[in-house]
This record gives sequence, C-alpha cells and structure tokens, in this order.
Amino acid sequence: MLTTTTLILAGGVLALLAVVMGIVLGWADRRFHVGVNPTVQAILAALPGANCGGCGYVGCREYAEAVASGEADLSLCAPGGTAAARELAEIMGIDATESFPYRAVVHCSANTYQRLQQAEYEGEQTCAAANLVSGVQGCTYGCLGLADCERACNYDAIRIVDGLCTIDYDKCVGCQACARACPRNIITMVPFKSDRMAVVACSNQDTGPDVKAVCMVGCLGCKACARLDPDVITMDGALPTIDYDRYDPDDAALQKVLEKCPRKRLLLVGKPTERDLAAVADEELPESVQADFKTTVDDTEWWG
Amino acid sequence: METLTSLILIFIGAALINNFVLHYFVGICPFLGVSRRVDTAFGMGCAVTFVISISALLNWTLTYFVLRPGAPLPVWVWQLAGGDPATQIDLSVLSYIVYIFVIASSVQFVEMYVRKFFPPLYRSFGVYLPLITTNCAILFGSLEVMKHLQDPTKLWGLHEALALAAGGGIGFTIAISLMAGIREELDLADVPAPLKGAGIALIVAGIMAMGFMGFTGVEKGVAGAISTLLR
Repeated sequence: MLTTTTLILAGGVLALLAVVMGIVLGWADRRFHVGVNPTVQAILAALPGANCGGCGYVGCREYAEAVASGEADLSLCAPGGTAAARELAEIMGIDATESFPYRAVVHCSANTYQRLQQAEYEGEQTCAAANLVSGVQGCTYGCLGLADCERACNYDAIRIVDGLCTIDYDKCVGCQACARACPRNIITMVPFKSDRMAVVACSNQDTGPDVKAVCMVGCLGCKACARLDPDVITMDGALPTIDYDRYDPDDAALQKVLEKCPRKRLLLVGKPTERDLAAVADEELPESVQADFKTTVDDTEWWG
Repeated sequence: METLTSLILIFIGAALINNFVLHYFVGICPFLGVSRRVDTAFGMGCAVTFVISISALLNWTLTYFVLRPGAPLPVWVWQLAGGDPATQIDLSVLSYIVYIFVIASSVQFVEMYVRKFFPPLYRSFGVYLPLITTNCAILFGSLEVMKHLQDPTKLWGLHEALALAAGGGIGFTIAISLMAGIREELDLADVPAPLKGAGIALIVAGIMAMGFMGFTGVEKGVAGAISTLLR
C-alpha cells in the first residue's frame, strides 16, 4: 500500500543512499586518483585519431604513449603527415626533422588492354584467389585488377581504372592498408619529396623478349636509366630501383631519364600538374547516371 | 550440515540448472557481444562474477535492513516518529531503483580501485567493466536474492545470497567461455550467408540452452550424494 508514510520513507531512503554513495565515490575519486600524463593527452589530441596502425603501434593512444616516453619517432603518423609531426615536435619541445609524407605507389602500369596472354578467369573475384591460379594473365608480377587494394582502402583513395589500380593522391594518407592487401606486393610506400615523384612502374623481373611476350608496356631491363643517373637509380636484376634517400626532385639527370626511358616506364606519379588540370579544364564531368528501370513485361500487341 | 547442503544446491542451481544466460536468458548482450575469443570471454566472465558478488553483498544488506517488508531501519524510523507500530511498512517497490543505483556506484568504485592499483587489469578489462553496469544478469542476481527476502519466516542469510551470486557469475563464465570456444571454431565453418554473425550465434545459444536443460533434476542426485558422503 503506497501511503504517505511509505512515500516519505522511500524518499528518505533514496536521499540517504544518494548522500552515502556520493560521499563514498567522492572520497574514492580523491583517494584513487590516477594522474594522466598531460603530454600523452596533448599528443593524442594532435594526432588524427584514425587508429590505422600505420605507425606500427596498435592505435593512436599507444603511439602517443611511445612518443611521450621518447621511444618512437615523431614522423611515423602517416595520416597526420608533416602537420602532425610538427605539432608533436612542438609538444615534445624538440625540433622537427624534415619528414615527407609516405604515399602508396603502384609498380605496374599496364591496363587490361596492355596485358597479354590473358585467360578467362571466373573464379573468386579477388586478387588473392586469382594469384593462386596460374595463367590468369601472362605477367606473373603485375596488377591483377580484381580490387583487393580498393576494398582494403579505408579512405576511398584507390580505384580500378581499366583493370589497373590507380591511386588518388588527394585522398591517400599512406596507411599501407593497400600494400598489405596486394598479394603481388606491387604497391609500396614512397616518401613524397615533391607533389609528383618518379617511380618504376613495373615489377617484372624478366628481360626483353620475355617481358614483351606478356606485356605491351613493361620494363625491358635495358639499364639506360641506371647509366644516365647512376647516383639514384641502380639495377636490381632486370629492374631499376630508385634510392629515395638520395632522390632529388629537381635532379637534371632524372629529368633526362624520364625522357629517355624507351618504354616510358619511369613515370611521374602524384597529384596532377597544372598542365594536366588545364588540359581537362574545359571537359565537363560526366553526368551521374540514374538507373532507369523499365518493366520487363512485354505487352506489345501481336503485329506479325 | 543442512546449511552446507542447501548452499551447495543453491550454487549448483544458479550455475548449471538455472543458468542465468541459458535458462533465464538474461545477460545476453555480453554473451553475444564479448564471445568472439575465449580469453576475452573468460575475462568478461570473471569481471561479471566479481561484480555480481559485490552487488549481491551490498544489495542483500540493503534489502535485509531497509527494503524488505518489516525491515528494521524503516520500522525504527517510523516508530521514532511516533507512528503506529501495527502499520506494515514495505519498501520493496524501491528495489529496482536502489539495486541499479548500488550496482552503478559499486562498479564505479571498483573501476577506480582497479585503475589505481591494478593498471594492467584495468587495461585488459577495457570497456567491459563500465559495460557490466548495465548488464541485466547483475540486476537479475540481486532480484533473485530479493525474492527470498520477502517471507519473514524463511529469510535468506548473506551466505545464501553470496552462494547464489557466485554460482550465477560462474555459470555465466561457463556459458560465455563455451560459447566463445564454439564461435572460434565457427569462424572456420561454412555458415550459410544469411545466418552469418548474430544469426548462427543465436542458434548456437539456443542449442546450448537445450543442452543445459539436461541439468534439470541434477539437484536431487547432488543432495543424495552429499547426504551419503556426510553420513
């Protein structure tokens, strides 16, 4: 029976309980106070908080703790890039070393029409599965175009264009998810010292005729580039490799290499140049296609 | 010896026969949410056992002295205020709100304590400890204890309340660990696409519940075994 008595008693009990618990919890908060490192908090605030794991730590908090304790380098955060590194340096009170944002580059540049000896592949539509099957295409090094990297990308920065994965450098943050997803390891991370970087856009380890048999555009291993710019480019078997530590975007020899490469497989990739943008400036964006579903019922009169 | 037998029966009853998860279907959210890996599931089970015991301790005390019909504290206050001694005073209506309040506060307290003195444990608990605050299994444990504090002629003591709580918590640990073991294997199984994830987990839970129905009636055998053992 809910009488005034019960009501008053109930209110009293609740009030008493609230007071007791409030005192106990307030005391416990003082007594069990744990100081949080303000440096860690500040670093955590400066990081983008993507928890992508690109730095090699489990998440942003772990990286922040490692930075605060001085274990980790300041420039490991790929999504944050230079801005985050500079902020971290400010918080830690040390000078920021110049760091370049790492971005993904694709070491293959043959689209579907340029890859030879292709076979019809109707299995599981993933690169990882197709990579297990021999004879999907002639080149066993190049892009399969089944979009494992596109699915791995959390930033919508990869598209398969004409069967070749293509990176949107406006969106890429360098988290390495695509590099881990690619079963053929043709995506690597490169420090972008300028907006456009030269890369070896082929992974084929074979030479001349063997490459020509499987690809219309692949690197033949002619070593012309290594001869022209031996400081930066060295031959690793039949493939040139670029030493990005010694890479200088304004190097004259490099410009010559880009011109002289007989297959034009040393490419500049990165953000589009102003000339590229000007070239397409007057083109209109394709209109988005609206689905126009027509009925499948055929009600035409018999007119035969 | 009567007490010991009844304690063991309460414990087994809460842990196996009337398992909180698989018989009453309370605490399903962590049972499905945290049962992907055996070690985290076991950690969650331990945390629940710990919190359920603490909250049963506190809630039994509160119920016994304040909330049950004819509890000493309100009666004393009532008579102090000059009320009629014959009035029946029953604050049981408050049980839900008080229990939730006590559980939330005690979880807060435990969290602070663990954070201060056992940082690695605090890290491994992660979000589970605050999550337990809203775990219905904990509230259910306290409400089960309350049921046995209604009739003044056969009141449960603190030891019985604790046996029920510990049994319930350990039953939860058993159920969630078994579930996690099955789900680890299930990741490798060829599950039909529409049933992937929660669907197959609920089917597994249902089959496990039917399996636990097999414990019904075990209490008679256990009671017999204890009596022969003690004779």
